[in-house]
Amino acid sequence: MLFLKNKAKTLDIADYTVILPSICVGNAAQLACDLLIASKKLQRIGSLFHPCLIPVYGPSAYQHEPEERVASCELYTSVEDKLLVIQFRAPLIARHTNDFQKQLVELLQPARRVIILSGSFGFERRIMEDSPWAYRASDNFKEAHAAQLGNASLVKWKEHTGEHIFGGGNALQLFKAFDQLKVPVMLLFRYLLEGDNSTDASLIVRELNELCEDFLQLRNGGDGKFKLTVPKSWNLLFGNEVTELLF
Amino acid sequence: MSCPGGFGELNIPSSRAFWDDCEEDEFENIKPAEKLKLQFDAEGDAQELPVESELFVLIEGPQISEFCNNALLTGLKHICGIPSKKSALHWNAAKGQLVASLEEDLSNSGEITELLLPYAQLAKKVLTITIKPKVEYKSEEIDRFSDDVSIVCRIGGNKSDRDVVKLEEPNFIAGVTAGIASWRHQLDLPISSYVIYTDKLPLDAVAAQAVLQLLQKLGVTCSERYVPSSKDSSYLYT
Repeated sequence: MLFLKNKAKTLDIADYTVILPSICVGNAAQLACDLLIASKKLQRIGSLFHPCLIPVYGPSAYQHEPEERVASCELYTSVEDKLLVIQFRAPLIARHTNDFQKQLVELLQPARRVIILSGSFGFERRIMEDSPWAYRASDNFKEAHAAQLGNASLVKWKEHTGEHIFGGGNALQLFKAFDQLKVPVMLLFRYLLEGDNSTDASLIVRELNELCEDFLQLRNGGDGKFKLTVPKSWNLLFGNEVTELLF
Repeated sequence: MSCPGGFGELNIPSSRAFWDDCEEDEFENIKPAEKLKLQFDAEGDAQELPVESELFVLIEGPQISEFCNNALLTGLKHICGIPSKKSALHWNAAKGQLVASLEEDLSNSGEITELLLPYAQLAKKVLTITIKPKVEYKSEEIDRFSDDVSIVCRIGGNKSDRDVVKLEEPNFIAGVTAGIASWRHQLDLPISSYVIYTDKLPLDAVAAQAVLQLLQKLGVTCSERYVPSSKDSSYLYT
């Protein structure tokens, strides 16, 4: 399942923050991870293979690693920031997902904390005045981040308690699997709709960074602002230009 | 045409997470999959040992089996069936070439990749060709290709090959060819990977020329030309 460039058999991620997207509505979580990888120029350290993942192969998705090839599940790190970002580029095959999830959770178990990014259908937010954000955190995560999560001026998110996150893919199942193994885990999701979700992606990154800067270590210029880099794979996100021949 | 649901019914879009039409609330009740196996003609351990080849060719695409059977696999020894639609593995003993013809089946592609890895591991060279519909090709200069029946692209590989366009992002391939190419690339093993975007699927005599020319250029034994077998009906109105 795991293929690392340094030929190691396990991931050395003690003290690491792991950012993991679920394949959700608008692919917003994956887009957020794309932004994170491109902006922080994270280094590809390997990939994951499993029958659950439809294999993909093609030119590099990012400007900073032009010789790489895309794969269905890629691992990126920043050793300095102790950050591991996982990127999925293919949907899952449902009948293999339980096995994949089990192996993935075991692989990431040594991490300091895991943050699952996701999205839910906008029409699932029943009260318009409610925050467009919701989260779910394990008890040990809440304990470790009581100061951040307890800051009412910062965190206006609603705590999710339901049994499903419609449009969120396997996010909740992943959350429960990490929680069972006592890995500090938080699931953060945004209510959104299908369309151009690049703005949602950048909002997810900014929201997470605002909650706790040491998750992502994204800072710039001392004014609290930072610039996100759009990866080159976002080119033609909605297909080709309409051909002139049509007119 | 009748209305597919009740009038006024809200059709909630299905989950993006699963390729095989599973919803978030069904996911926990999905039964684990039975393992797929290569379907060997004769029983016996010797049959099932992976063949060591000079060149392992994988060709994958929708409705590709008729083209492969007529233009590529004539006279080759059938080694085994691949558990996906009409896919199979054939052996050209004279040239030491192993040929996998793969009907596009993304749901099983991860598992089939795993089944073919032993063959890809033993092969000295591996060539993958993916056939895709032309409408899937993305380019800022798409008008340049509007009159072309086929667009042949390479993924990485030989820069001196000027006849073939280098595949640029955001294009990519998916399926067994992608799995094998990705695996060989990760292990730093030689891999030649091509994708042919064609405006006619299943391939007809004209669209097949680009595939045949590429195969010949890369030293794969195949027919000079391909003429699809004629059908009694177009099935257009049935």
